[in-house]
Amino acid sequence: MTTQEILSNLFCSFMGTVGFAIMYNVPKKYYLGCGATGMAGWIMFLIVNAQNHITSSVASFFGAFVVVLMSRILSVKMKCPITIFLISGIFPLVPGVGIYNTVYYIVTNQLTQAALKGIESLKIAFAIVMGIVIVVSVPRDVFHKVYYWFVAGKD
Amino acid sequence: MESEMTEDRKITKKERTEQPDGEVKQVVDFALEAGRILLKNGGEIFRVEETITRICQHFGVEHVDIFTLSHGIFVSAENEKGEVYTRVKHIPLSGSHLGIVAEVNELSRQIAGGKVTILEAQERLVQIDRIPPSRARTQVLGAGMGAACFGYLMGASLAESVVTFFIGCLVYLWVILAKRCRLSKIIINIAGGIMITLCAIFATRLSTASMVFSLDGMIIGAIMPLIPGMAFTNAIRDIADSDFLSGTVRMMDALMVFVYIAVGVGIVLMTYNNMTGGFIL
Repeated sequence: MTTQEILSNLFCSFMGTVGFAIMYNVPKKYYLGCGATGMAGWIMFLIVNAQNHITSSVASFFGAFVVVLMSRILSVKMKCPITIFLISGIFPLVPGVGIYNTVYYIVTNQLTQAALKGIESLKIAFAIVMGIVIVVSVPRDVFHKVYYWFVAGKD
Repeated sequence: MESEMTEDRKITKKERTEQPDGEVKQVVDFALEAGRILLKNGGEIFRVEETITRICQHFGVEHVDIFTLSHGIFVSAENEKGEVYTRVKHIPLSGSHLGIVAEVNELSRQIAGGKVTILEAQERLVQIDRIPPSRARTQVLGAGMGAACFGYLMGASLAESVVTFFIGCLVYLWVILAKRCRLSKIIINIAGGIMITLCAIFATRLSTASMVFSLDGMIIGAIMPLIPGMAFTNAIRDIADSDFLSGTVRMMDALMVFVYIAVGVGIVLMTYNNMTGGFIL
């Protein structure tokens, strides 16, 4: 990847997430957090996806994991519902390409390809679900303890 | 009994706080209203239940049972004399305003911290409910920006992203207008998909030798504002909290919207493909 590509990826994932935050009426003071969440998730996805022998669903899992972790940390820090960061931050990982390709192959009557792409996007969706569930399932007390232990150095 | 009830409602707010019976009703009504606003604007089930419990317990209503679905809240409270007060509230699946969710959450935090009385809290809640959504213009531009940026991330060229910006704006404008006319989700999303694909096909006709527009990047970017990210994420969170019933309803809502979009895009692609014999696609 060239520097220009990296910069444009950072910029687009940030601005795109902020765009969706605007759409969902998120208050202005959280825009920065939303953008950072989406950007972090997308960067994680790109890094994992660039490794050999790793499918895009596994990369989506790691991307979603980072998104949820970051939303949870930000929601504790800024004292607001996690939903604000989570909903807009998850958007870059949504398998839009997979859905489009599935429909495209169905209407052009290439059904084998359609099945391949359809199952791939289902796998990605499921990976995102797993990423969210794992982080969300950590009980609040435990999460707060770990958070304060890391950030503030006290329990 | 009936006349007593109406008498009770006529009593001024100040007097009412001194009466134990009135207090239970007042607290439960207030808590239910907070829950309704949360659920309507995209709060999760556990957040609604937690907020109602927190408010009730802080204002001294100890025995309270809550049952929350994705589109309804049932609250039942009991005072020391064993008299039971129950409310049911139907809340249709509707829009999303995360700003309001954040405000109600903040209010409930302050109540738990003991910083507000119930009368102040009631006034604040009425104000919160009236917070308008951002201006339509801002939302449309946000949708365009999101569509263009994600189109670029998914492999559209710079010129295609610019076109995607305009298609995204147009589609979200349609969504806002259609929601004002209370059109059903089926029509909004199928027509949205059709609109996106038509615009994208029209844009490919503009391509010159130096600048070729391809369909996929533009369509993928432009369907992003239609994708039900909120329903999907909330569904997963509800299922993760073992609220399977509400989770299933919301997941079904999200899946159906995915299907509608696919149908809209598919119809146009298929017609175009048949008309041109598949050479251009």
